[in-house]
Amino acid sequence: MKEFGNKEYYVNRELSWLMFDERVLGEATDTSNPLMERLKFLSITASNLDEFFMVRVASLIDMQHAGYSKKDIAGLTADEQLSLISKKTHELVDTQYFVLMHTLLPLLGAEGIELITAHEDLSPDEAAYVDRYFEEEVYPVLTPMAVDSSRPFPLVRNQTLNIGALIGKKGEDSRDFATVQVPGVLDRVVEIPPEYTYSDDTRTFILLEEIIERNMHKLFLNYDVFCAYPYRIMRNADLTIDEEEAADLLKEIEKQIKRRQWGEVIRLEVADDIDPGLMEILKKELSVRGDSIYRIPGPIDLTFLMKMYAFPGFERLKRKDHVPKPVREINDGADIFEAIRNHDILMHHPYQSFDPVIDFVKSAAKDPDVLAIKQTLYRVSGNSPIIAALEEAAENGKQVTVLVELKARFDEEHNIIWARRLEKAGCHVIYGLVGLKTHCKIMLVVRREEDGIRRYVHLGTGNYNDSTAKLYTDLGLLTCAEQIGEDATAVFNMLSGYSEPLYWNRLSLAPLWLKDRFLHLIGREAANAREGKKSHIIAKVNSICDREVIEALYAASCAGVKIELIVRGICCLKPGIKGVSENITVRSIVGDYLEHSRIFYFENAGNSEVYCGSSDWMPRNLLRRVEIMFPILDEQLKKKVIYILATLLSDNVKARVELSDGTYERAERRGGDMICAQNVFCDVADNEASLKDPVENSRVFIPIEGGNMNV
Amino acid sequence: MAVRTFAAIDVGSYELGMKIFEFSNRNGMKVIDSVRHSIELGTDTYQTGLISMGRMDELCDVLSDFSSIMKSYKVDDYRAYGTSAIRETKNTVIVTEQIKLRTGIKVDVLSNSEQRFLHYKAAALKGQRFDEFIREGCAIVDIGGGSIQISLFDNDTLVTTQNIRLGVLRAMDMLAALQPKTRDVEGILRELIDNQLQVFKKLYLKGRTIKNIILIDDYISTMLYHMDADDRSFSAEKFAKIAGQISTMTMGDIAKAYGISEETAPLLLPAIAIVSRVLKITKAENIWSPGVSLCDGMAYEYAEKEKLVNYSHDFENDIIACAKVMSKRYQGNSERNELIEKVAKDLFDATRKIHGMGKRDKLLLRIASLLGDCGRYVSIEAGAECGYDIIMATEMIGLSHAEREIVANIVRFNKTEFLYYDELASASLMDRTSYLKIAKLSALFRIADGICRSYRTKVNDVRFSVKGNELLINVYTVDDIDLEQGFFFRKASLFEEVFSIKPVLRYKRR
Repeated sequence: MKEFGNKEYYVNRELSWLMFDERVLGEATDTSNPLMERLKFLSITASNLDEFFMVRVASLIDMQHAGYSKKDIAGLTADEQLSLISKKTHELVDTQYFVLMHTLLPLLGAEGIELITAHEDLSPDEAAYVDRYFEEEVYPVLTPMAVDSSRPFPLVRNQTLNIGALIGKKGEDSRDFATVQVPGVLDRVVEIPPEYTYSDDTRTFILLEEIIERNMHKLFLNYDVFCAYPYRIMRNADLTIDEEEAADLLKEIEKQIKRRQWGEVIRLEVADDIDPGLMEILKKELSVRGDSIYRIPGPIDLTFLMKMYAFPGFERLKRKDHVPKPVREINDGADIFEAIRNHDILMHHPYQSFDPVIDFVKSAAKDPDVLAIKQTLYRVSGNSPIIAALEEAAENGKQVTVLVELKARFDEEHNIIWARRLEKAGCHVIYGLVGLKTHCKIMLVVRREEDGIRRYVHLGTGNYNDSTAKLYTDLGLLTCAEQIGEDATAVFNMLSGYSEPLYWNRLSLAPLWLKDRFLHLIGREAANAREGKKSHIIAKVNSICDREVIEALYAASCAGVKIELIVRGICCLKPGIKGVSENITVRSIVGDYLEHSRIFYFENAGNSEVYCGSSDWMPRNLLRRVEIMFPILDEQLKKKVIYILATLLSDNVKARVELSDGTYERAERRGGDMICAQNVFCDVADNEASLKDPVENSRVFIPIEGGNMNV
Repeated sequence: MAVRTFAAIDVGSYELGMKIFEFSNRNGMKVIDSVRHSIELGTDTYQTGLISMGRMDELCDVLSDFSSIMKSYKVDDYRAYGTSAIRETKNTVIVTEQIKLRTGIKVDVLSNSEQRFLHYKAAALKGQRFDEFIREGCAIVDIGGGSIQISLFDNDTLVTTQNIRLGVLRAMDMLAALQPKTRDVEGILRELIDNQLQVFKKLYLKGRTIKNIILIDDYISTMLYHMDADDRSFSAEKFAKIAGQISTMTMGDIAKAYGISEETAPLLLPAIAIVSRVLKITKAENIWSPGVSLCDGMAYEYAEKEKLVNYSHDFENDIIACAKVMSKRYQGNSERNELIEKVAKDLFDATRKIHGMGKRDKLLLRIASLLGDCGRYVSIEAGAECGYDIIMATEMIGLSHAEREIVANIVRFNKTEFLYYDELASASLMDRTSYLKIAKLSALFRIADGICRSYRTKVNDVRFSVKGNELLINVYTVDDIDLEQGFFFRKASLFEEVFSIKPVLRYKRR
């Protein structure tokens, strides 16, 4: 077989990720997006970048410290990667602030929304309001800390915004460092009531740190405040737990959460006009390297924009909300089990409502014939109705088994609370398998019916989280197919610590079998292509960075398989390289909803197979997580999924196409209609829901020919 | 509800397994859940004779969990069987009692022959293929951790069974002790296996052709399943080819290629070596691995008892056939033994109301009838005692140890003085129920034997009827039967003692 070892064929995953963040930033600059949406996208680029630093950059720094010299897929060492990341991130941040300061804030102003980014700009009336707000609301929760010979440099918390100042005793010449944390308990964005502002048409906002900065002198009464500037640090917070040694995983994670606050500083953001003396102190005390310092020409930490977005009254500047539509196969108040028995049900969230999934658990909790409910919980929303239903089920004497994944990134604290609550209610709570994150989304309801046990299964590409289900695009399948039911039982037995089953009927599981399955499916297409049979692969994932999978795709491309990839985020594969990936195209869709579903289409010589799953093509998914890929067996539903893929491939509004050098450009529009896949799906869901009679509807999904599908 | 659920628990020597079965009109018998947990109980037992505290805790934890799984399915009934690891501990009684107290699960201990019989039953229920296979010369090769059981068929009836102490775990241990430098597992195992198989061949395979092999094991059946073999069957030729391929693969590759876990992959090699040798020695052509486990057999047993399934195969007949083959080996008088068996059977049926025993007890009586004279092969003088010893030392598929002891005692007490409970129980673990069975069946057997007592068979018809407190025995005969009459009354006294009914013998000439 041909070798694809050349590092030129691959993109470094971190740089690829940064390009993804750039694409999100592109949405903030896109004039066709409503203004508030652009603000939101900008905010997302900032929170994305924070997470990227805490996890990815941090672990590269760990590698650097450990002297780890192995090169990545693109032939780069940790050192090289870090310096490229730093360069690219500085550019990204520059763009972020250029967009904010020179485009978005002026546009907001034109819409009568003023954000005061420097307290010096306040009118006397506004200043009076702000000062009173400071004294009444802010002052009581502040903890100013000064540093002198008797007091050491304080611990500055990870990811908190702080104000650093240089102060000196009144009448003395010495200068000491002082710092105060901008309290997280207060709103970052403060609206100044209209009666204090110039005009009635304008709404005026100011950031909390500006209010504190302005009143800094009130915190250090016997001192002169020479200067005060906001700063923020990011620490190495990569959470690594040695599970073999942690006797009690729960306790260990609780400990780790506390420890996370105090890692090495890997990023320091300061106001770009910061006093050089203050800068020196911060740099020295926090031991930050030069290229880890970001001088910010505007408000630090742009996640406050999401708060702005959430203020009431700006609806006219936002995209019209699409209300998730009911799923036609499940009529209000009807027996959900009967509906599933009639037909497998495929749901496309968030275009279609997530409620059926919640109703499914709720009905199961109450149904006297239900014996057991088993499910995985990865990221649960606050006040989750699913948790409540599971508690109820346990109280009703059902056997409830819940696998709570504690290691969901940054959500551990949350998850521990749920876990305890469920245990209290009498559920059997499992905390995952040692060394593996449980990422699959599966729910099993065992019901004793007249003619025996019947199993109802929900399989999804998204988490059981009713909040994210409104924002993430995902597919969910409700089925009572016997073979899938048997596999589902085996999944939970395995997650409970029993031996793996002798065989699987329909499901493919990571980490043991899934990767081989993918390689087999890709290889089969290649073999078919060589034999002159029909071949075609379409895959929609969030990320592709598994080397073996990429090599298999390259090999398939060389064999003549047409491969269309829809990859939202990281893509280490380079399409269109002559003799390597000529038959591969890669497109990325960054839209109003987060593209999250993983869908796989294999032509299989005319006998096509369609799968959905929880796994990306990343080593972490394929090797260190429990993931499930499930087939869509029902022919009608298969068509529905193929239609979804075809629509995504025809998107020319939100799609960006990857070029053979690894960069992205907007999809060509070739004069045709503008197709925004996410909007099309909204319309489809609306149409479908408006047709009442499910029988009449069963043939609604006649695929629009995507033009490039061998359906 | 027409649906019944049953849980079968196998407390094995290297694995705890539970299968939940559902019996319904819709699906017949169906496995609805199956869990397995690896635990090497055998390691403790085989090395120290006891199960360690740590393993006991683990065992009880898992069994408690099984118990809650059973509850979640609201199972109607369950059975838990312990095999060699439990059977061979020195304190089986204490272990099972402790399990009962800690988990609520009652574990019964299976003898080897019962265990194999359940495997065999499970295979038999796989239907058509089984019937096809046993029609032409067939052997069942049941590979366990500690030993292999080979059972032979003669015209679709199982006739003999032998245990060879060389299972996959034992073979692995032997290999480890030898520390071979090569991967030629078959080569090394060949000597070990052939030694034992040759004896078997000499004794049992003479004049028999074995065309088919039914394989019962955990490893090869999984492998065959993943190979999409035609209903898990293979020609011997193809099997040899695969065996050759596997011997050159790494454990990881084997696991990947055949869908088995990497820990069990090493056990596949001795299993394949064993089967290869059996194929060589028997020259069998076909091999079929139905992929059944003890749990399946338990479910069938339950279904049979509850009349939830119908077997096409007559298992009782297998046991009877085994007894006949055994009698032949010890040069028993088959004509006479079969007459006694018939008379005993009739007597059993006629006195059913008096003795209150069931179908299984009748089977034991029939077996005793067929084996009544086997001890004479060793000593004419002490035939009864020798018969007892022979039966106690010969494994009969389908009979538990306790049942074999009953049969042996019936044979013994036919000729020797009947022992009362205290005397008998002091030498054995026998419980009162078994003792009473021995008493009743011995009483019946003595009558049957007494009637037929002759060196030439003269009796051609016997009729029994119970009137008041008398058992009327009408014997139709052409000849004079004085010889029997005197003898008969001595033998009949036990019947009178046990049932308080007096046997009355009447002759009718024809």
